[in-house]
Amino acid sequence: MSILSIEDLRKDYGRVQALKGVTFNVPKGSVFGILGPNGSGKTTMLGIIMDILKPTAGTYKLFGEVPNETHRRKIGTFLETPNFYHYLSAQKNLEIAAAIKERGQNDIAKVLDLVNLTQRKDSRFSTYSLGMKQRLAIASCLLGDPEVLILDEPTNGLDPVGIAEIRQLIKDLQQQGKTIIMASHLLDEVEKVCTHVAILKKGILVATGDVNEILSNEDIIEVGAADMLKLSATLDSLKGYSSIKQQDKLIQLFYPVGTADVETVNRHCFTNGTILNHLQLKKKSLEAKFFELTN
Amino acid sequence: MIKLLRIEWMKIKNYNAFIVISAFFALGIFASNYLAYSFKKNIIDPADPTGFLSGSSPFAFPKVWQTVSYYSGYMLLLPGLLLLILVTNEFTYKTHRQNIIDGVSRTQFTQVKLLMGLLIAAISTLLVFFTAFIFGFAVNKGAFSFSGIENVGYFFLKALTYNFLAILFGVLIRRTGFAIAVYFIYTVVENGISLALLGWAVNIKKEHNTDLGNMGNYLPMNAADGLIYSPFDSFTNMANKILPSDYTWLVLSLAIVYIVLFYFWSINKMIKSDL
Repeated sequence: MSILSIEDLRKDYGRVQALKGVTFNVPKGSVFGILGPNGSGKTTMLGIIMDILKPTAGTYKLFGEVPNETHRRKIGTFLETPNFYHYLSAQKNLEIAAAIKERGQNDIAKVLDLVNLTQRKDSRFSTYSLGMKQRLAIASCLLGDPEVLILDEPTNGLDPVGIAEIRQLIKDLQQQGKTIIMASHLLDEVEKVCTHVAILKKGILVATGDVNEILSNEDIIEVGAADMLKLSATLDSLKGYSSIKQQDKLIQLFYPVGTADVETVNRHCFTNGTILNHLQLKKKSLEAKFFELTN
Repeated sequence: MIKLLRIEWMKIKNYNAFIVISAFFALGIFASNYLAYSFKKNIIDPADPTGFLSGSSPFAFPKVWQTVSYYSGYMLLLPGLLLLILVTNEFTYKTHRQNIIDGVSRTQFTQVKLLMGLLIAAISTLLVFFTAFIFGFAVNKGAFSFSGIENVGYFFLKALTYNFLAILFGVLIRRTGFAIAVYFIYTVVENGISLALLGWAVNIKKEHNTDLGNMGNYLPMNAADGLIYSPFDSFTNMANKILPSDYTWLVLSLAIVYIVLFYFWSINKMIKSDL
């Protein structure tokens, strides 16, 4: 089942088209990264899903249903900036959030502890530093132990330790079977924590799928031959590649960056009696994608 | 809705501006009436001991309902101000977004604010009722009567108009300072237009002999205002002599129409826009 499915979503701000027909699905249990540079439409898209922006066209579903406020209560969402009542303490702000969600009133102490804010829980929100505000927002998302989390730039404004903690937290949550949708402009971050990715550029979906396929940080040599079985057997004795993947008319060999040598592969196959009808070096698709993004 | 009201209460019970404005309002209702009362007692009465010019005390039953409703009306800008702040705070802190993200619908978000406006109007009205009761009892308990109590009902409509208009301005303008400025400027401008309309109505009467009533009272804030006459109503008396037809039913209906309009306009605005 898809946790979130988006169908041809469009959003215009006057003449500016922020989203130009985006379609994808977020599978249950995935850590789904939405990657794109600033202004690519990430927050706009999440804003539409959370009903704070109105789409110009297109539809979306949460948990396979037409969404309303009760679906949103089951999702821990942190969008763009930490939004709390400045004159209230962290504790009181979380009480309000839990009351709206109708869940998590008993989790307040636990989530405050998880983001290291227990000592400051009675201070007014307005006295918090940016990093503390950010951590409080993440704490609020965790109220009621939701099955799905939507996090928009969750590590923004955090120090390196904070960033590492949040990434670890996301991994732990995924281990527990939760679905996490995370927007980021940091390629490195998406690569480190996500299982799936959708790449946005100027409101267009550039690519979506398994993160290892889309953002693989490796060189790939594709080979093909008339007799695929024999080719497969021949490649077994080849050394140097880190992994191998059989597709229906091609075999992909993955190499750590810079170590792929097409000549060696060709010679090995030829000496072992397999004539290749396809031989191609694909440079790391990470860079290719990034080129598309920043182009 | 009870759940949402409890959440609103969590938002405001520790909010200093709420406590201060509420206290000022409650005090103000009593103080403004006491000021009028002591002016009458200490300045007018000694000069006019027989009551020949000023008539019976406006703070005796049954006139006290009208008097207190009228003077308390001046304080109604305070709850309006409070609601403006409460609504625009949500936009300033972007908590309107967070509330909706966390699981309130756009309609519920606006409805509960309007419900707060209704509750505050109801509490204000109760305050006016008891204030009138206390003054009436202090001045002339023997004459106790509910005659003229409809003025307290008009006060409720007036409070509701002010509160809903404040919420509407908050939803439309969103920025606290700007919204407050527009709200106050609007009240001044509407009063100006209202006077001009009265002048126009008098002219129409003069030229065409057609009595359209005090057309100034057909405007939103003046509709509810116009239902409650000043107890020292020389000006209203004059207008009434020139335009004698009783248009209370029309003004009352208009006041209700405006309240309903503000209600749906606020909700519609919140449903339709990007937040």
